[in-house]
Amino acid sequence: MHNTLFQRTRTQSRRLAIGLLFGAGFATLTGAVAETVDPQYVYNSSLAATCASCHGTNGVSVAGNRVPLINTLTHDQITERMRAYKDGERTGTIMPQIAKGYTYEQIDIIAQVLGKK
Amino acid sequence: MNRRLFLGQSAALLGASAGMNKLALASTKTKAKVVVVGAGYGGATTAKYMRMLSNNGIEVTLVEPNSDFISCPLSNLVVGGSEKIAALTTPYDGLTNKYGIKMVKDRVTKIDAQKKTVTIGDGSTLSYDKLVLAPGIDMNFDAIEGLAQASRDGVALQAWKAGPETVALHQQLADMPDGGVFAIAIPLAPYRCPPGPYERACQVANYMQQNKPKSKVIVLDANPDVSSKGKLFKAAWSDIYPGMVDYRPAHRVVGVDGKNKTITFEFEEALKADVLNILPPMHAGNLVKDAGLANMNNRWAEVSFLDFASTQAKDIHIVGDSIQTAPRMPKSGHMANQQAKVTAAAIVAEINDFPVNPNPVVTNTCYSFVDRSQVVHVASVHQYDSEKATFLPVKGAGGLSPEANQLEGIYAWGWAKNIWADTVA
Repeated sequence: MHNTLFQRTRTQSRRLAIGLLFGAGFATLTGAVAETVDPQYVYNSSLAATCASCHGTNGVSVAGNRVPLINTLTHDQITERMRAYKDGERTGTIMPQIAKGYTYEQIDIIAQVLGKK
Repeated sequence: MNRRLFLGQSAALLGASAGMNKLALASTKTKAKVVVVGAGYGGATTAKYMRMLSNNGIEVTLVEPNSDFISCPLSNLVVGGSEKIAALTTPYDGLTNKYGIKMVKDRVTKIDAQKKTVTIGDGSTLSYDKLVLAPGIDMNFDAIEGLAQASRDGVALQAWKAGPETVALHQQLADMPDGGVFAIAIPLAPYRCPPGPYERACQVANYMQQNKPKSKVIVLDANPDVSSKGKLFKAAWSDIYPGMVDYRPAHRVVGVDGKNKTITFEFEEALKADVLNILPPMHAGNLVKDAGLANMNNRWAEVSFLDFASTQAKDIHIVGDSIQTAPRMPKSGHMANQQAKVTAAAIVAEINDFPVNPNPVVTNTCYSFVDRSQVVHVASVHQYDSEKATFLPVKGAGGLSPEANQLEGIYAWGWAKNIWADTVA
């Protein structure tokens, strides 16, 4: 199950990237098209949305915010940092404690969704 | 990966051709209607993420009597006077303008779970396919003799829902004579925001230190000890505010005499105070309670944790402080925002006839200000456990700040601005 979740994220990431490209207008644009909702898009986006409470919707921080930015990082950079936090190889205030709660598969999916394209 | 392969895999997930039929049907039927009641951290986030995750395929109506979102987190800074309530206020416009959510500025007066309608204050009804209730908490004033009257008279305030009462409580602190006593009474857990009362004690002491140095905060806690971040708050009280915070555990308030500003206890001698900030026991929002959905001891609403559906009524979901939480899951704004995303994803799945995510995860992050700039945090991560059908905190994850620090004071404001935007903008 986890494995297939992970494999599907490329498509899902692309859709999210399109969403980000259109910014606020994306909701209205896609709303006009009768489109089937992809289960994988819903699962993966809602998992990545657990990060949004601190780092902003779709990983985009409010301007001038001093919470470290994550939307400037690529998939590999997010994965690397989260794994390092989880494995105790990177220090921080809250992130070492948060990262330990996620599985490696979940970290990969989050990085696919939020990583800079 | 191409589109065709992607669809093929989705179908496999759903169980061969039956899944494909369901998908085909989902795309042709008229838009499902979801009504959300309450636009706080739980309700507003659910509304927004249902729109996002369904690619606007769901019509969402959000019923909320207030015109702005006012954050409870950080509102102790307003009580202490270092911030104004305007700094914690965000208008709801973005939910309509950016996400196409229909806002109805009213209260819900009645829920008809059979007809699947809600009645609002002006007497009209809204029909729904799914209903999401996020009314937060309400308080049991009758649990403390005299409190209902003292609260109506404005003598004993709670200020546990941010807004005019928060400002009024600061005014009482500002009007208090130097050498006065500010009493904070805390009910037995569970209540909204476990560290909140202790953070408030810090902020009130901070104001006193700068403006009325002979004054005292007396914390009357029905619990046997500080419910959250205990060592960190106690360190702040002894190091930053020596002699100013008098913490009294296992003090259960049973009565309030508003005229004489006197608090009476189960066992201890009565206490006179200048400001009475008395928090009575709390329960699910009255909307949930009156609809018979607070089915855990007639106090909190039991939900299925995969989709936050009420165990009492079909097609009604409940998020935020009204629910009977999973083990060690706090009633917090951050947690409500997290529950909202699980709920939104599950409702999108249910409406589109595909399985809900079997492995949801939620986190909690809570920053408390011990003075105007230093902060302590508590964090946790809760993974869904399918065997126990609940969220369980991940062992080895989460934890506390080692000590109060300025960096997390900066992060706390960053957290606030981002979660406010994530919830309502």
